[in-house]
Amino acid sequence: MSGRHVALAAPAAVALALAAYPAVASGYGVRATLQVFMWIVLAGSWNLISGLTGYVSFGHVAFFGAGAYAGAILMSKAGWPWLAAALVGGVAAVVLALVIGYPCLRLKGPYFAIAMLGLNEVLRALVSYFEGLTGGGNGLSLPTLDATIPIYYVMGLTAVTVIALTYLIITSRFGLRLMTIREDEVAAEAMGIDTARHKLYAFLLSAVGPGIAGALTARDQGYIEPISVFPLATTITMIVMVLFGGKGTVWGPVLGAVVLFVTQEVVWARYPYVHPLLFGAIIVAVVLLMPRGVLGILQIRYRLPRTI
Amino acid sequence: MLGQVVISGILSGALYAMVALGLALIFGVMRIINVAHGPLLMLGAYTTYFLSTVLDVNPYLTVPVSMAVLFAVGVVLERTLVFRVVDAPELSSLLLTFGVSIALVNLAQLLFTSDLRSVEYLTGAWVVGPFALSKTRVVAFVFAGTLTGLAFLFLGWTKLGKAIRATSQSREVAMVCGIDVQRIHLVTFGLASALAAAGGALIAVIVAIQPEMGQTWTFKSFLVIVLGGAGNYPGALLGGILLGLIEQVASLFLTTQLSEVVAYVLLVAILLVRPTGLLGGRQT
Repeated sequence: MSGRHVALAAPAAVALALAAYPAVASGYGVRATLQVFMWIVLAGSWNLISGLTGYVSFGHVAFFGAGAYAGAILMSKAGWPWLAAALVGGVAAVVLALVIGYPCLRLKGPYFAIAMLGLNEVLRALVSYFEGLTGGGNGLSLPTLDATIPIYYVMGLTAVTVIALTYLIITSRFGLRLMTIREDEVAAEAMGIDTARHKLYAFLLSAVGPGIAGALTARDQGYIEPISVFPLATTITMIVMVLFGGKGTVWGPVLGAVVLFVTQEVVWARYPYVHPLLFGAIIVAVVLLMPRGVLGILQIRYRLPRTI
Repeated sequence: MLGQVVISGILSGALYAMVALGLALIFGVMRIINVAHGPLLMLGAYTTYFLSTVLDVNPYLTVPVSMAVLFAVGVVLERTLVFRVVDAPELSSLLLTFGVSIALVNLAQLLFTSDLRSVEYLTGAWVVGPFALSKTRVVAFVFAGTLTGLAFLFLGWTKLGKAIRATSQSREVAMVCGIDVQRIHLVTFGLASALAAAGGALIAVIVAIQPEMGQTWTFKSFLVIVLGGAGNYPGALLGGILLGLIEQVASLFLTTQLSEVVAYVLLVAILLVRPTGLLGGRQT
């Protein structure tokens, strides 16, 4: 088999195995894999804006939280089915991204990064303020429903979609323009790329996945509160996953999500206080020592194609 | 009522201005937004807390000590990590300082726990005519005003200060004039950390502190320099006072939770309408 066949067959085999997995797995196995899917969605989405355009989003969990609240309100107050509510969660996140992205992405420089840093706190404050709708600090309970296995499939499908989308973008002219912006925005403008619009499109695309994942997670857990859906730690984790795996690549976020989630479950769960500290150290180390991540290093050493 | 709001706004605005001046200096000279600025302020607050509660020193006497300690921390950070990303793409410096800030916050949680801690000193308020002035806030205003004034004197009149401004105008030309730019970066980072530490020390006497307090300050300092125009040092003063006033006016009509939101809406609105800030960017 040629390399091209392996490249197609391997992911397909893994996808088939994962699709059959709930039939044989324990409850814990399904839940853990569901979590891995969620992290692939989050890390892959962060990669779309920050990995491709170089605009760092320090508050991407805001879209997760916005999707979670939009979905949970529809499910609990309006009685929507969870699948429809999850899609609306994605739409809500895109609308939020438009409101933030339009002013902040027109500018170069760190405006966007810091605006995203503040966004999370603001949403948390808003959610606490509109108590009637969101339950405020008391949180929001959803009607009981055991849908873990269907959610497993939908989350898995979302993860596959994010990976496929990343591949399509990276191999397209749109993706090349985004990467041109990352390498030299002035040059990109000089070549006639409408940088503001391209950045905004990438940003909107990067908000959909977290929005859907947020609503699905809300349904799966049956209860949300401001602290549980807007934790800064989630943003940090997705950034670490992408940086570790290799930003701006298709499989880097997947690699980072799987490796770091497993490590977290196996090792760091025993040292709950040390691991956020380690995350900070990993970010610093990756930026200084291997800015292209594990996959980036492999790409250079083994001359792998740019599109992995 | 309005008078009270204006006074409170100016009192807290001076503190914003001083802390933001540090961020503006680093941005002006090194072209880096230091996301760890707030966590450095938090370390300054803890330095004052421990000196004043454990060693029983008057908290206001610890302000210079906190500044000196954080100057050293800033210098070490610059020399070991930050200098490596000065010329790198923005992504690197933002992520690096973000990593540093996470590490600092979690280190503080590990060492000091997440408990709220407060320095009990100078409680109560002075009543002047119809106004009640919180004593700690008035003293903080005096300190912030003096330190900011000294910082401007330093930038305007000393040789080192002029070298800092020259580097901020053009690094290449500064180099040609024989300025050791590496050293200027080091001093700037230390000075900025010291200004943050002074802010933290003064805040520790006003409100209870905890390891996660810093992030809001990174955000607010950034908002201040956006208001005044990024890289524009006098603009940071104007921006600080404005932010203080706006927050106080907002708290008249809204809950404290929502006045956080007002600051945010303000940021987005300014970026839409006048992205170069009120005074325009980069005049040093």
